[in-house]
Amino acid sequence: MMDAKLIRELEKVLGPSGVLSRAEDLQLYEYDGSVEEGRPECVVFPRNTEQVAAIARLAKRFGAPLVGRGAGTGLSGGAIARRGGITVAFSRMNRILQIDAANLRAVVQPGVVNLDLSRAAEPYGLYFAPDPSSQKACTIGGNVAENSGGPHTLAYGVTANHVTGVEIVLPEGEIARLGGVGAETPGYDLTGLFVGSEGTFALITEITVRLMRLPEQVATLLAVFDRVENATESVVEITARGITPAACEMLDGWTLRAVEEFVHAGFPKDCAAVLLLEVEGVREAVAEQAAEIADVCRQHGAREVRRAKDAAERDLLWKGRKNAFGAIGRLSPSYYVLDGVIPRTRLTATLRRITEISEQYGLRIGNIFHAGDGNLHPLILFDQRKPEEFERTVKAAGEIIEFCVSMGGTLTGEHGVGMEKNELMRLMFSEEDLELMRQVRAVFNPDGRLNPDKVLPLGKGCGETRLRPLPTAPSGASSGAPSGAPSGASAGTASGSAPTTAP
Amino acid sequence: MSQAGTWSTSAAARLAEIVGAEHVRNDPQSLLPYQVDEVVPAAAVLPESAEEIAEVMRFASAERLAVIPMGGRSRLGIGMPPAKYDVALDVSRMNRVLAYDPCDLTLGVAPGVRCVDLARQLAAERQFLPLVMGNSEFAARDTVGGMVAARTDSPLRYGYGSARDFVLGMELVTGAGTISKSGGRVVKNVTGYDLHKLLIGSLGTLAVITRINFRTFQVAPEQRTFLATFPGGAVGLEAALAFCKKLAESQLQLRVLELVSGGAAQVLAASGGALCPAESWCVVTSAAGPSAAVERHRRDLEEMTRSARPCEFFALQDTDGDALLAVLGEFPRLVMETFPGAAILRMAALPTDTAGLLQIVSETAERNGLAEACLVRAAGVLHAGLLPPAGDAEAPARVIRACRELMSASAARGVRPMIEWCSTELKRAMSVWPPADGGAKIAERLKGVFDPQGILAPGRMAARDSKGRD
Repeated sequence: MMDAKLIRELEKVLGPSGVLSRAEDLQLYEYDGSVEEGRPECVVFPRNTEQVAAIARLAKRFGAPLVGRGAGTGLSGGAIARRGGITVAFSRMNRILQIDAANLRAVVQPGVVNLDLSRAAEPYGLYFAPDPSSQKACTIGGNVAENSGGPHTLAYGVTANHVTGVEIVLPEGEIARLGGVGAETPGYDLTGLFVGSEGTFALITEITVRLMRLPEQVATLLAVFDRVENATESVVEITARGITPAACEMLDGWTLRAVEEFVHAGFPKDCAAVLLLEVEGVREAVAEQAAEIADVCRQHGAREVRRAKDAAERDLLWKGRKNAFGAIGRLSPSYYVLDGVIPRTRLTATLRRITEISEQYGLRIGNIFHAGDGNLHPLILFDQRKPEEFERTVKAAGEIIEFCVSMGGTLTGEHGVGMEKNELMRLMFSEEDLELMRQVRAVFNPDGRLNPDKVLPLGKGCGETRLRPLPTAPSGASSGAPSGAPSGASAGTASGSAPTTAP
Repeated sequence: MSQAGTWSTSAAARLAEIVGAEHVRNDPQSLLPYQVDEVVPAAAVLPESAEEIAEVMRFASAERLAVIPMGGRSRLGIGMPPAKYDVALDVSRMNRVLAYDPCDLTLGVAPGVRCVDLARQLAAERQFLPLVMGNSEFAARDTVGGMVAARTDSPLRYGYGSARDFVLGMELVTGAGTISKSGGRVVKNVTGYDLHKLLIGSLGTLAVITRINFRTFQVAPEQRTFLATFPGGAVGLEAALAFCKKLAESQLQLRVLELVSGGAAQVLAASGGALCPAESWCVVTSAAGPSAAVERHRRDLEEMTRSARPCEFFALQDTDGDALLAVLGEFPRLVMETFPGAAILRMAALPTDTAGLLQIVSETAERNGLAEACLVRAAGVLHAGLLPPAGDAEAPARVIRACRELMSASAARGVRPMIEWCSTELKRAMSVWPPADGGAKIAERLKGVFDPQGILAPGRMAARDSKGRD
């Protein structure tokens, strides 16, 4: 229960409409796109940097934890108030402060929705390249915190590649500017370090981003395969031929049938896998590369390679891809979304291993992923009301993530570590690595009050991977789920807070 | 010339125990190449592994010995003179490619790998790293670790970004002698904090880089370099900038966009880049892709230059194009070799600020009786050279005055330059770093985390030296 005096102080800064503290209001802020839960003790809605700094100073004075929150679409529990305290919701700091078309820059407040920036930049022939599938809802502040990716980051890089500067409020209330509007600043690259710190270094109050010029032409191809291996081999061959598509996505047969039933995107229901590929640039390059990609896919057994004939068809194909998780939510009470990364040449072996794990645990696993950069999003279907099934699910998830790491990959490609994978960090990092990260975090966040218990394992030096607590079962679900289940995954529930967009 | 720090024969013996006696140098003659801003270390050690480096650093930490990590020693002049310098940590024996998966576009290298050797190895797979373009004897010294630690960029920055855009992860040894790592070996990864980004441009002040993982790039079927030349002076500059603006507004996908001033063209001309006519403003562009796409770029560029008169346009032969990009990549070295005592400032320059900044450089140089040589890289970074006339006893003082004026005039426009290349004499008179900004306190605390004893290249990134001189 939060100190009433702190609430009053916060209201003095923000006005009564800027502070929520009733249980029924707080309930709405206890989850994000994962099934992790944690209820804040109050939620505040600052309108400017000074108010954020004042909130941080009050939080320090009262020793209250602080957590930043954008749209709450994150998939690793990054915006969850794990230790209660104050959630700083940036929905009122949602202005695009400047679009400087001549210098390819925009300055935005953290609560600006990702797609809104691209829409605002479109009249200038520009856009913001990172495009997480939640881009209709997710905010740029959240993108910076998580270093978000998206299908088109294959060619253009993730959020870090598009941020030149940030204004931040440190947990003790100090305002600082890192980087700037220019391409570089002398000294250490603090902006590079900051992006992707998952809300554990500071609250973000302003962001300067790089905008890119819209391409002259885009070609979207759908390649249809009767064998999954043929699709994965095509991906490797496309790279070997020196082509870097703007996007290269794969859906396996089961997943695309589920998507087709829901979205009617035009995916053939009787195939084993499809690749959704995009090339863009000057029309001559697009024509040649699209032809070469089609050629590679056919040589690797594609039974059909179709090119979207217009923007409407292109949008429909992407709608199918980006709404895939919503489609799965219709078929299963719950699902886990994994976010492992492997070297793309290990795609075939990894998918084979996922199939084995699926059979071993008796669980349906759909595969939908950014094939071009080896970022997998296996979806494990389960019923959270059945504790034994959930236990099998999290074990299967753990095995898949461990396999990714054993292939030379990583725990997460774009969803972040948050509170879902922090106990798995030891799969990749030694105690020395983690200790250095801890100390770096302490430079910004000395007492760990900002977004506590995220990213790094909570135990220290125990030499084994600790297990995270099980998420709370959705309301109406049977109780008694096993505790201590590991997960390298985000989860969605069809009955609860199912995310409707895929990452 | 001075020899800094405390030293003892027992220290030399301990270092020999760690790396082998044959890999420790401490006779004065062999230490001369290791001097940094005229400070010669007491010893140089050449370890061959991260473990050996960790042991060296633990020993140095216990003995409070100041250590400067280095590779090809081609960029040791960047930064302030060391406040203390006992041991040169030469990683040139760590020169192996540790992992290379062409199909995954990933590469892991030890820091002492020479860029030219690496370029050759990657070229065999029709791949490259957009890190180094030079092919001279001097460029042959450049090591991958040194290039990254010095945040060296290349003319390919416009198309491929700088090191922060294609370094995937690192292994490092902290000042306390702990081996650590950050990032990964795959092209997409958000696991943990990106500590490796801090090491890019850190000049060895935070940690010793012992491995770097890169994303590699594929060589396109065809690539072509183009040169547009404009008359010198204000009229030519205006036309050149208008041309650059038109390029930026087009949907062409260039991999190179460099604006070369008349003074810079003169330096390049004297160094084999004779294609840039001296005293002319030049815009160098390059395109890569399928041949039809490259031809389209040539056509459009030529068309644009027609309306950007007065201007001449050249599509260069492959060898000429490569040679021009190579000399552009070596611009600072060429300036410093041609004009000993010159200073080159490096600053972010937004396209709309470029004309103003170039004007400030030109006026400052003229006012102080100096020549200028400017290169605007990737429509975003200005390298501004202030060149002293030969045989002028007053020249060093005038370069210093011009640097001060330029630092303060650009600060007034919200730009924070650093003096990247200059004489040691200049560094004794002023700091090469701009005044501290909002991140300074954080940077200082980070230094304390990575290097708690302050023994890694102490003073090199300090805005003011220990005596408080500016």
